Amino acid sequence: MGQTSLQTGGNPPTIEELEDLAFELRSKLLHLCGTYEGAVHIGGDLSAADIFTVLYNYGLNVDPTDIANPARDRFVLSKGHAAVCMYIAMAMRGFFSYDGIVETYGQLDSAYGMHPCKVQLPGVECSTGSLGHGLPLAVGMALSARGRGEGHRVFCLLGDGETGEGSVWEAAMAARSNELGNLVAFIDRNRQLMTSFAEERIVFEPYPDKWAAFGWNVVNVDGHDMRQLVEALDALPAADSNRPTVVICDTVKGKGVDFMERNLAWHAGSLGPADLERAMAALEASREKESV
Amino acid sequence: MPVTFTFGEMLSARSVIGSTLAELGDEYDNLWVITPDIGATLVEFRDKFPQRFLDVGLAEQACVGIAAGLAYDGNIPVVSGMLPFLSMRALEQVRTDVCYPNLPVKIIGTHGGLVGNGGSTHYAVEDLALMCALTNMTVTSIGDPLMVGEIIRQSMTMQGPIYIRLAVGKSDKVLYEPGQHEVRIGKGIVAREGTDATIFTHGTVVAQALEAAEELAKDGRSVRVVDMFTLKPIDEELIAQCAAETGGRFVVLEDHLAYGGLASRVADVVADRNIHLTAFERLGIPQVYAGFGGDEELRNKHGYGLEATIAATRRVIAAQA
Ligand SMILES: Cc1ncc(C[n+]2csc(CCOP(=O)(O)OP(=O)(O)O)c2C)c(N)n1
Repeated sequence: MGQTSLQTGGNPPTIEELEDLAFELRSKLLHLCGTYEGAVHIGGDLSAADIFTVLYNYGLNVDPTDIANPARDRFVLSKGHAAVCMYIAMAMRGFFSYDGIVETYGQLDSAYGMHPCKVQLPGVECSTGSLGHGLPLAVGMALSARGRGEGHRVFCLLGDGETGEGSVWEAAMAARSNELGNLVAFIDRNRQLMTSFAEERIVFEPYPDKWAAFGWNVVNVDGHDMRQLVEALDALPAADSNRPTVVICDTVKGKGVDFMERNLAWHAGSLGPADLERAMAALEASREKESV
Repeated sequence: MPVTFTFGEMLSARSVIGSTLAELGDEYDNLWVITPDIGATLVEFRDKFPQRFLDVGLAEQACVGIAAGLAYDGNIPVVSGMLPFLSMRALEQVRTDVCYPNLPVKIIGTHGGLVGNGGSTHYAVEDLALMCALTNMTVTSIGDPLMVGEIIRQSMTMQGPIYIRLAVGKSDKVLYEPGQHEVRIGKGIVAREGTDATIFTHGTVVAQALEAAEELAKDGRSVRVVDMFTLKPIDEELIAQCAAETGGRFVVLEDHLAYGGLASRVADVVADRNIHLTAFERLGIPQVYAGFGGDEELRNKHGYGLEATIAATRRVIAAQA
């Protein structure tokens, strides 16, 4: 594809290294959820932690020391309420200082708040938080890349609940109509909205078929299986191909912390000291279980 | 379950909404409650009247359109959600599907003003300007949590649409004793008497205006506070009366853009009726995207906190006649 690699450092990380990074990301999220007095959207952060990890450490061609390089891949966080997961993933990749996030998150004049702001936090590609905005923005960026003959890709992460918004499907249609093979949407398919489970009030299924019907290349993966995520990225069609790709990631909201998993009460919340300890122990235990 | 409370204490406006709707559901068998995935406080209604409760998921535009469709057929739909999205994503549905045919759809929501620390995607700061522009729309902004219940009740017999704005609505100060003031849509409430100046205000900062008046009373200043909870139709007579009785000295304080909200509506009345003023100051959000921080910190930062309110009121009182 003739794309210059902006990756710093040596070889790409191994699956095991990516898994360790995802564990570290989850630990840091829980820590922040324990120290910050306000609510953190911890459920949808934990469900997307593996996706963020694989994108920032494997999939995205970005250079934290050169954030305006026109050849960089773009990442649009459409489910903006997972901002803190993105900030920490970016910090772990070298964009920001993790301590800066923990010390100032949500405070007056902080660049790090509940939803990402491009103006306050350079390195973040888009100001989002109102759901349903990200995919149209990503289509615009992909069109621009196509028009300028640039070889980079545009990635976009959406919540499954978010795809109830009509604007998502308007953009999906535009992406297919304009043959944007350089556009890749990831769906955090955790089967929960804010106040209900998928299929309880809103029928999403047959979900992959909906994207297929819009003419997209549909890939289904276990969104907590690093190998499958890596393989999906490796198998992306060339950026100059003509069909946008959606990677539907089967996930669990609150993944890694048993009392948060599939629990509507943990869409957003905060952890007291005792709960934090309990959550860290649960995370540790879930890792041991997976490695057996 | 009826909500219990004590004057001066904190109460959740959302719980008042929840219990009021659950009660009204018995009285009105055509009352519907519809939400775009913001249903946490509607559980009582949902469980009592599952056939008249609808959660459409993340779909504000369809939510308002569906409400209009229900209203066309004689139902009374209440749309409950977050105001930045109901007032902006669904603006055309509100205007063309609800206001144009003048349907009795009630839009109730939270996050009016720089509240909740969600950042600028989650602050409704232009909403009152937008809603006041819509023909047929009645526009309210409520600070006292108990008043929300009263306004919803009154709105049940209204012909056309109404917009009801709250702040976060999780913990709001009870400002008035029940029965202390007549609460009527279209009529301002004189929350505190005074003769040196009037502070017109609405919503979450009514409490701040009352605090400013209390501070100023310590130096012998007598400041009237008007809770202008109905922005449209505005209580013109009360504005004229306040001009006459408080030396034509006005401060307008609001958690909304300083231009386009209550200050602009008061200024319109002053201009249209040729009311003579001695001094006029407006305190509200300047033309900025406000950033993160606590509610009070943001008000201070952007020039409409308590200190700024006291200072502006002093200036207005000191102005040469
Ligand atoms: C337009 C809009 N409506 C409502 C909200 C409030 N909100 C934030 S997250 C959320 C639920 C989102 O569900 P989903 O997209 O599935 O995200 P996840 O479960 O991954 O957190 C809602 C209703 C919002 N941010 N934007």
